[in-house]
Amino acid sequence: MRTFRKWCRTFHRELGFLAVGLTLVYAISGIAVNHAHHWDANYERTLERFTIEAPGIGPTAEIEPVVMERLALTEPVKSTWRAGEAEFQVFLEGGGIDVNLATGEVVRHGFAKRTLFFDVNFMHLNSGKAPWTGIADVYGGMLIVMAVSGIFLVRGRKGLTGRGGVLMALGFLLPILYAVVSRGGG
Amino acid sequence: MRNVSTILVSVLILLFAGAALAEDVEKTEDKVYGEGVTGEELILVSELMATPDEYIGKTVRVKGTAVGVCAHRGCWINIASDKEGETVRVKVKDGVIVFPPEIMGDTIIAEGVWTANELTMEQTKKVCEAKANEDGKEFKEDEVTTCMTLYQISGTGAVVVSE
Repeated sequence: MRTFRKWCRTFHRELGFLAVGLTLVYAISGIAVNHAHHWDANYERTLERFTIEAPGIGPTAEIEPVVMERLALTEPVKSTWRAGEAEFQVFLEGGGIDVNLATGEVVRHGFAKRTLFFDVNFMHLNSGKAPWTGIADVYGGMLIVMAVSGIFLVRGRKGLTGRGGVLMALGFLLPILYAVVSRGGG
Repeated sequence: MRNVSTILVSVLILLFAGAALAEDVEKTEDKVYGEGVTGEELILVSELMATPDEYIGKTVRVKGTAVGVCAHRGCWINIASDKEGETVRVKVKDGVIVFPPEIMGDTIIAEGVWTANELTMEQTKKVCEAKANEDGKEFKEDEVTTCMTLYQISGTGAVVVSE
């Protein structure tokens, strides 16, 4: 048992150090995406409204150069789209512009990746798939080893047979109760 | 015990490196989403929308500019038709494919199965109300008398085409 405990301690310590960075990635992103209904966890968005002289409603081939001239854009345009009779869209790098051809009202949307959050969310949600899938699998395995080895680190009343055991039971009980209640309540 | 630690860390570093190299290069860098496209034959969006029932259950590929994207989860894109003002939606499984906002304005080829979703009257009214709000028009509930069928591509993949 002594050797076993020694092995547990070694595994737990070494993996623990190795896991700090990855755990912070998943924890920070976890909180961020948990509140995705409150904010856009990946992008900072901007909205600007202004008015140009109304280009009027006519054939797209005639209207497009008028719109572009009146917008006087300095950045390159990716593409344009006549979304409706009075709706004209201009797509730019990092945003876009909606023009109401009848009224001349313009809405400019912008977006930029959030520093840190975009990257940690990209990893957490595995948006890039390979090669992160493999790394995340190894990390998951590490967490299992750390969790199991952690049980045997301390002996006595602070260990599995004492307070540690009670806390561990609570840790199991919380997700089990939630699962039962959420299933029961649909 | 020190040797054990060294071996453990070395094994893990090798595992991480192996995991990183075992699979393909990150797909989003190549502007390929999901499974990409598996064929070359394309269908015009206007043709698809003109006779939608003919294509239900069939795998289709469309090409056009991405003019709309799901802002919350990147779980759909709207592709512009060859017919002005018309679009087709490509819906993908949440989290399986994530379309970023940067895709707006890019030319896309998307592939998937053409599906039809029959809406109830209640759902139809909600869709009409949302559309009216989006267009800044007044929603008149009494004018909605027939149930709507929503057609879309259940997307399996897409590629950004450089032109």
